[in-house]
Amino acid sequence: MTDTKHAVRGGPRLATPPRTSRARRSGRARLTPKLGRFALFALPGLVAYGLFVLLPILMTGYYSFTNRNPFNPPTEFVGFRNYVTLAGDPEFLQALTNTVIITLIVTVLANVGGLLIALLLDRPSKLYVALRGVFFTPVVLSSVVISVIWRAVLTDDGLLNSALRGLGVESPPGWLSDPDLALYSIAWIITWQMLGFCVVVYLAGLQGVPRELQEAAAIDGAGGLTRFRNVTWPMLAPALTINTVMLLITGFKAYDQIQVITNGGPGTGATATMAFQVVKEAFVGNRIGYSSALAAVMLALVAGVSVVVLRVLQRREVTQ
Amino acid sequence: MIDARTHAWLRPLVAIFVGAAFFLPLYLMLVNVFKPGDEILPSPASLPLPPTLENISGVFAREDNLFTFGLINSIAVTALSITILTVLSAMLGHYLARSTRLFSKLLLVVLLCGLMIPIPVILSPMTSVLKAFDLMATLQGLVLVNVGYYVPFGVLLFMGFVKSVPRELEEAAELDGASKIRVFWQVVFPLLRPASASVLIFLGVWIWNDFLTPLIVLGPDSGTTVTVGVYRAIGQYESDFGDLFAFMFLATLPILIFYLALQKNFVKGLTGGAVKG
Repeated sequence: MTDTKHAVRGGPRLATPPRTSRARRSGRARLTPKLGRFALFALPGLVAYGLFVLLPILMTGYYSFTNRNPFNPPTEFVGFRNYVTLAGDPEFLQALTNTVIITLIVTVLANVGGLLIALLLDRPSKLYVALRGVFFTPVVLSSVVISVIWRAVLTDDGLLNSALRGLGVESPPGWLSDPDLALYSIAWIITWQMLGFCVVVYLAGLQGVPRELQEAAAIDGAGGLTRFRNVTWPMLAPALTINTVMLLITGFKAYDQIQVITNGGPGTGATATMAFQVVKEAFVGNRIGYSSALAAVMLALVAGVSVVVLRVLQRREVTQ
Repeated sequence: MIDARTHAWLRPLVAIFVGAAFFLPLYLMLVNVFKPGDEILPSPASLPLPPTLENISGVFAREDNLFTFGLINSIAVTALSITILTVLSAMLGHYLARSTRLFSKLLLVVLLCGLMIPIPVILSPMTSVLKAFDLMATLQGLVLVNVGYYVPFGVLLFMGFVKSVPRELEEAAELDGASKIRVFWQVVFPLLRPASASVLIFLGVWIWNDFLTPLIVLGPDSGTTVTVGVYRAIGQYESDFGDLFAFMFLATLPILIFYLALQKNFVKGLTGGAVKG
């Protein structure tokens, strides 16, 4: 087996010298095709990634130690001053709290709801296949479109409150205008959009649970709940991992809904998230240095939390 | 426990009820696209009888052409981005999957880190890079940014598939004297079709729906994409839901059709990679 492989791999090298005269010359011959292959196949993608992702990340890191502001030069190195300011900035602390609340609500609600709906729809008939499509639709829509729809539903004189008034409710809640409610409304809207994603991933996981295993457990006298806990749930571990990590990242970077629906309000930053603050500082306040420090903290949080959660959940997959 | 017979009629009932409740906001948008503006708030949930196309024609008749120009820009940006992304990430994914050198492994790790980076974190320096190339507020600039940002995802998908293409096939073609480029285009790339379909569909939907990147990169002065157009339209329509819903309906239709047309390939592609990867 190995012999044939060697023969095959040796093949082109034996065949090349007579074909190209350049290949005969020196040690360059062995290196150039490799470099050429790299330049041709790998380089274009890498250059785009390097220019528009890697370089900007490094620039964000560098700017976070400066007071860069294009309308207020010169840019000076300020050490950790931005980070120190950040730690005492109430706007940042509120954005951090808001982001954590949104992320927690979205991760828990969409996981639980997605699992329940997947269990409900885990049947082969046409009705359930059609319903899968219903739940998946918001995943394919833009969060801008979703936001505008929900804004029309939840705004003070919107569709929901009109309906509530019609039912005789004197003063229906200000879903988006009450500072105590708005954040939860935003979290709900993101959950609603992500639910279908979780349903589909859990359904795919449920397809992998062997019927025989379920039947064997049933014969052994295990009730529905015991069967779920001991047979189905452990086999859904990979689906839980995918959903949780996906939802965590989605929650942490929440931006569109806030920009479209509340613009950070009502009041002072009741719904402002970290992503919202980063963009506001950079493009409204032009405080690039400060915004970069915020961005660096945000990235560290996203990366840190997702790596830790991924590790924990994947270990759980193996041990179960 | 509820016995099996009760279950049999309960499940579809619950399923339909939950599905209907979930779909309600989308239903509200759909019916109100075809209803005259002044009928929406008094009876938001009623069927549009008789339906009117007033709202839809209003979107096309806008004097600022927000929808028409946005649609053209969106189609151009999405089509160009996903074509380039499919080709570049297929090549890069193939290269990285076949290379055994440590350098390639490192490159892969660096690339995959990009999957976790939220756009706001890199947006401001990204615009500096675009300015340096004089590409700010241009469609080409937006396409390039999309390519750079989404290439890790494309590579991830393609790499799983490349592993299912037997190496011997490529070696045989090389033995027959085909160049590396020909081997890739005529042997490898056609075999990666399911992965290409997934990349096209995922990235097509994501790029079409992108909000923050086109909002900032294209800026307020030049034309924008149709998704950002929805955002721009909010202010003007304030409480005229009919016009706004019609705008969103039309902005969503092309990508929904694209998605449904490719969906069969996409499901096949997704599972194909999972099993063989």
